[in-house]
Amino acid sequence: MKAFGYVSAKDLEHAIALLGEHGARAKILAGGTDLLVELKHAVHNPEVIVDVSRLHELKTIAVADDGLHIGALVTHSDIMNSPVIRDMFPALVAAAHSIGAMQTRNLGTLGGNLVTCVPSMDSGPALIALDASVTVASTEGQRRMPLFELFVGPRKTSLKPGDLLVDIIIPKENLGKPAAFEKFGLRKGQALALVNVGASFWIDREKSVLVAPRIALGAVAPTVMRAPKAEAFLDGCKISAEVMAEAGRIAAMEAKPISDFRASADYRRDLVAVLVKRALANAQARATAKEKELVA
Amino acid sequence: MTDVTMIVNGQVRGASVPPETTLLQLLRDNFNLTGAKLGCDVGDCGACTVIVDGQAVNSCLMLAGQAEGRQILTIEGLASREWLHPIQTAFENSGALQCGFCGPGVLLSAKALLDENLNPSTQEIRDALSGNLCRCTGYTKMIEAVQDAARLLREESRTQLTHARTEATAP
Repeated sequence: MKAFGYVSAKDLEHAIALLGEHGARAKILAGGTDLLVELKHAVHNPEVIVDVSRLHELKTIAVADDGLHIGALVTHSDIMNSPVIRDMFPALVAAAHSIGAMQTRNLGTLGGNLVTCVPSMDSGPALIALDASVTVASTEGQRRMPLFELFVGPRKTSLKPGDLLVDIIIPKENLGKPAAFEKFGLRKGQALALVNVGASFWIDREKSVLVAPRIALGAVAPTVMRAPKAEAFLDGCKISAEVMAEAGRIAAMEAKPISDFRASADYRRDLVAVLVKRALANAQARATAKEKELVA
Repeated sequence: MTDVTMIVNGQVRGASVPPETTLLQLLRDNFNLTGAKLGCDVGDCGACTVIVDGQAVNSCLMLAGQAEGRQILTIEGLASREWLHPIQTAFENSGALQCGFCGPGVLLSAKALLDENLNPSTQEIRDALSGNLCRCTGYTKMIEAVQDAARLLREESRTQLTHARTEATAP
C-alpha cells in the first residue's frame, strides 16, 4: 500500500469534524474489507484514512418511533446474530449470511456494503424491498433520504466528500412485512451474486390478495433496481403460484443485465424470473408461518 | 508512524509502524509470529486468519492501528510445546492437513466456531470454513476433525463441570 496518514475517530462528532477538515483527500475506513483491497491495488490514493471503526454509536440495532435503526457500522455477523432482525427481517439475515465468508462478515459492515455500491451488493435488494432510508451526517448537519437515492451507478453514490453514512432505517409501517431474499452465485461460499432479489408484500387475508408488493433486483443493472411493472401487476392480485411466476417473467423483461465472465445477460434474465418467483413464494411462506405463531 | 499496543496471545505487545501496515504484517514482521500466512492478501484465502476479540478475521484486511487495544489470538497462542489444543489433536489424529499452509487459518476459524457452538452440524462447519481455501485436502477430513474436536471439547467441559460439582459438594 502507498503511504497515507491515519487518524482514528473517537466519536461521531470527531469523525464528522475530521471528514469536514480533510474532505476529498480522505477515505473512510469502516470494516476495511473493500477499502483495503482497493488501497492495495492503488484504486485510491488518499492522503488520510479516517478510521471510524470505533464509533460505538454507529453499532446499535434499535427500534425507535419511526422504525428499525441499524447503525452503519453493524457488521454482517451482527445482523445474523441480532434477535430483533432475525425475528422481524429474516430476509436481511439471509442477505448478510450470503456475503463473503465468516472472516469478512465479522469485519464488513452494512454501511460499507451500501456505500461501496457495487451492482451485486447483497444488502441492497433486501433493504430496497423494505423501503429503507438512510441518515447521512456532515458538518452541515444530518439529513435523511431514501436508500434508493444513495445509489447512483457502479461504485458511485450520491454522498459528497465529508459525508458519513450514520444509519439505515426500515420504516415503522414495514416492521414485520413479509419479505425474502434470494441469491444465485457460482458457489455457496464467497461468491458474488449473478443475480439477487429482494421481495416483500402484505397480504389482505379477507380478500386473499397481495398489497404493496416490492421487487428489488441486484446485479442486473448499474445499481439495485426496482421492477415497477412486475410490482404493478402483483398489486391487488389473488395469491397464487401462477401470479408469482408471471411477476418473475415481467421482472426478467424489466432487468437490464450485461454479459460478463460470470454469466451471460440471457442467463441472468432467466435467473431473475426464477429468483423473483422463489422470493415471492418464500415471503408468502414466512407470512403463513408468522400467522401460525401468532395463533399458537 | 502509528503507535500500537495490543494483547497478543496473552502478552502485551507494542510497536511503532507506518499507518499502511496491516495487522498481518505487524504480526509477522514486528512480532515475529509467522503462523498467520500471507496468501492472497485480499481476504479470499483465509491463510491470514487470526482471532480478534473473539472473532475470526482476515488480518490482511485490518490496519495495525485498528488492532490498538484489542485481544489477538494467533496459532502460536493455541498450544504450548507440551500441550496441544484439542482442535490440533483432532486435526493430527485425522490427518486433516497436508502441506499445512492453510492450517493456522483453518484451525483458528474452527476455534472461533467451537467457542460459540460445541455441537455444530456439518453444514455449520462448512459455513465456518468457507473462508479458508485449502488446495490439498478436499476438506472432508477437516470437517471430520472439527467434529472430533467438538466431541473432545464437549467431554472436556463435562469433566470440568463434574469436577466443579464435586468440589462444590465436598465438605
